[in-house]
Amino acid sequence: MKKIVALLVALLLLPGVSLAEGSKMLNLFTWETYIDDEVIANFEAETGIDVVYSPAETNDDMMLKMSQSGGEGYDLVLASDYALQIMQKAGLLQPLDKNKLPNYGNLDPAFLSQYYDPANEYVIPYMAGTPLIVYDPAKVDVEITGYEDLWNPALEDSIVMIDDARNVLGITLKTMGKSFNETDPQVLAQAKEKLMPLFANIRVFDYNTPYTSIINGEVSVAYMFTPQVYYTLLERPDLKVVYPKEGLGFGIDGLVLSAKSANVDNAHLFLDYLMRPEVAAHNALTQTYMNVNKAANDFLPEEYLNNPVVYVPSDLLAGAEFIQDIGETETTMQEIYTAFKLQ
Amino acid sequence: MKRHSFLSILFMALVLLVLYLPIVTVVAYSFNANTGRNPVEFLGFTTRWYRDLFSGTRGYGAALWMSAKVAFWSTLISVVIGTLGAIGMTQRSLLPESRRSRSEGIMETLVSLPIMIPEIILGMAFMAVFYGVGLPFGELTLVLAHTTFCIPYIFLTVKSMLAGMDPALFDAARDLGATPRRVLTDITMPLVRPAIISGAFLAMAMSLDDFIISFFVYGPSSVTLPIKVYSSVKVGVSPQINALCSVMIAVAFLAIALSQYLSAIKEARNRRKAAKRA
Amino acid sequence: MRPWCRMTPPRLTLGKVSDMDHQKRDLAFLRLLKLPMYLWTLAFVFVSLLYVVTLSFLTPGETLGATGEVTLQNYARLFDPQYLRVLFNSLVLAFQTTAICIVVGYPFGYFMARLKPKARTLVMLLVIVPFWTNALIRIYGWRILLIANGPLNNLFIALGLTDEPLKLLNTQGAVLLGMVYALIPFMILPTFTTVEKLNFSVVEAARDLGAKPFTAFLTITVPLTLPGLLAGCVLVFIPSMGLFFLSDLLGGSKNVLAGGLIQKLIGSRNIPLAAALSVLLLAVTSAVIVVYRKLGGTNDMSLF
Repeated sequence: MKKIVALLVALLLLPGVSLAEGSKMLNLFTWETYIDDEVIANFEAETGIDVVYSPAETNDDMMLKMSQSGGEGYDLVLASDYALQIMQKAGLLQPLDKNKLPNYGNLDPAFLSQYYDPANEYVIPYMAGTPLIVYDPAKVDVEITGYEDLWNPALEDSIVMIDDARNVLGITLKTMGKSFNETDPQVLAQAKEKLMPLFANIRVFDYNTPYTSIINGEVSVAYMFTPQVYYTLLERPDLKVVYPKEGLGFGIDGLVLSAKSANVDNAHLFLDYLMRPEVAAHNALTQTYMNVNKAANDFLPEEYLNNPVVYVPSDLLAGAEFIQDIGETETTMQEIYTAFKLQ
Repeated sequence: MKRHSFLSILFMALVLLVLYLPIVTVVAYSFNANTGRNPVEFLGFTTRWYRDLFSGTRGYGAALWMSAKVAFWSTLISVVIGTLGAIGMTQRSLLPESRRSRSEGIMETLVSLPIMIPEIILGMAFMAVFYGVGLPFGELTLVLAHTTFCIPYIFLTVKSMLAGMDPALFDAARDLGATPRRVLTDITMPLVRPAIISGAFLAMAMSLDDFIISFFVYGPSSVTLPIKVYSSVKVGVSPQINALCSVMIAVAFLAIALSQYLSAIKEARNRRKAAKRA
Repeated sequence: MRPWCRMTPPRLTLGKVSDMDHQKRDLAFLRLLKLPMYLWTLAFVFVSLLYVVTLSFLTPGETLGATGEVTLQNYARLFDPQYLRVLFNSLVLAFQTTAICIVVGYPFGYFMARLKPKARTLVMLLVIVPFWTNALIRIYGWRILLIANGPLNNLFIALGLTDEPLKLLNTQGAVLLGMVYALIPFMILPTFTTVEKLNFSVVEAARDLGAKPFTAFLTITVPLTLPGLLAGCVLVFIPSMGLFFLSDLLGGSKNVLAGGLIQKLIGSRNIPLAAALSVLLLAVTSAVIVVYRKLGGTNDMSLF
């Protein structure tokens, strides 16, 4: 018995040591499964680097954990555009070394030089997408053409909505003919008035898995991100997709390097690996987002590139709007959203 | 009386049924061959999720290992601190001349506070303090936090056992000339061992299952199983999670069956011994 | 004062001088024993909570933490009706959860204690085993069960109870179910412990003296098992205000509860406001414990 205990103690002490020797490590912080297992396994096999995948649930969680540790212990973070900017402003990131990224040229310039990183110093774009509306025509009697229809009293308790202040307030502003990034306090006050009654129509708030609710018939209308729309249509081809007539929103998720990264070289190796055309194509296909890597398009099947959900018709996309940093107004928007959710 | 006991058994059976309903569901779905993003429909039988679970790339193994390590260290530390603390506090009150001081009552409340208040308060308190002190978040902060909420479980179980004992036991030993240390090692410790063991099991179970406090104090490369499970559930990776739950249930039942079997053997042996003596 | 203390015969003191010596040494030794626990508790419980109280009077800083500016703003904001409503809803839910746990858990613990020893062990294990698996997974099991095209709705439709799937998941009721499910062992186990210790000859005496079974139960059994019941109430009531993931997983994130609000505030990095809300929740918790003590509850956890 004593031997067994001694063995157990020894076992429990060991891994702390083996994990500490850092050189062959990389800590990746993002949503569970956002980078495919296969990609990570192949990278590990090729380089001998051990990738530690730290899972997060939301952008907020990633920002919180980064702030907690000052970035210590994390190497690469994969989060959404506005979150990347907040982390950069908080000094949690370090610039990338392009000399270590020979595949950088594969990226599509259309997705570079965005508001969160105008000089392309910090961010490697990973995926891009536009949230859309999906609904079940068998259960919804009204025809939905835009955001405005979500307020229709006929949709009481039947919508699943992205659980995010900027998106929800953004579409409200759109119905008023304003921008996602409106900063005029008076307009925002009106938007608040407009937003409040939407609560009665919402059944579920869900950032990560809204498709579960609509596929299983919990709700009949959904406003959600590109890949979520894509999965939904795979399982329920009977559902209808709507490009809201008021104009689309647009977002990019990207990878950044933590200011306190202890594995800068490994991180660059991984970033460069992700920008290989065939890897980027694989990622786009498994995540079903818009591909941001020009060279990867050759590896993507024709029908994927023509999928109208992933690749929204270009005339519509042209008018799509980024959710941007709005400085102080961010707090106002968060407060409006809190008031909305605490009804 | 007969009719009554039938109704009571029916009632218990119903409650147990509800208690096991979600677990049976999870176990059943762990064999669901549906590979869609939304596996509610049952599409046939597979064991692939179990293979997936142990294949390593998913990181469940690492998370389980981290949970085990944290639970081991926090239980160990809290057993030492909590047991000694309980003995120190309770035996003193057994000495007739010494009255329980007010500060001791306050300390007792403070010691048991971690399990009396909603976990989220302690979680945020730890996060704020560790951040303020500049302690790096990781295994160490997890062990510190878990030890803090494990101590009350040990303390309270050992204390209640000591309180139920006849103080004359300890006094007699003292009067016969044993040093306080010998009383501790030769009398008190063996007597409270069952309480230490059950308290340790309780503390370990609480540590292994803790999500809320861990959520605020975990760091890079120190993801525990409940955190891993939460993030998986949140992005809808359910089949492997279902498999994981089934494995845990199976292990629990096996452990219980084993312990029942062992105690049955022991009982039989004791009975034989008693018979011999007679 | 525990009853047995009063019953212990006074210790024989022989009046020897060495007794005093003994006691001094004993006290010093015992003080040494409890020192680590005192230090740990002061460092991690007392200081941590004190720090939260301090934070609640400060102004939010740039990142995590706070600036040194002292303010009452955080508390003023808590009295905003929207936050008060969250607190009120959490309390209502906590009361409902406790009430259901009493109705189901108390009789269960009672019946369980009256089973034959073998059956009792079995039922006890059956109650405990689910709680060795992860709480989140069990709640996830409810998600599958309750979803619109899930097993329960399919069953109801097959039985002809309903044509349309019922709205089970993502409702207030589902959150309540999850709460009761997660916390009911904390009612069952303390009840079981007190009933098991109960001397049933007292109840039988009452019956012999002509009390009806129900009267005997109400006037004898319930008062004698009250400590277990009270402990159960506290153990159910308090955590139910902090379980933030239940609303996320079963309520469609529509019912924000006190625990969830604290988590959201930390997520948006407004630590001082989260701290103020924690202090308020701590006050509610303390009030519950004070009431519990007044009603005769002890700190004693032989209930597990």
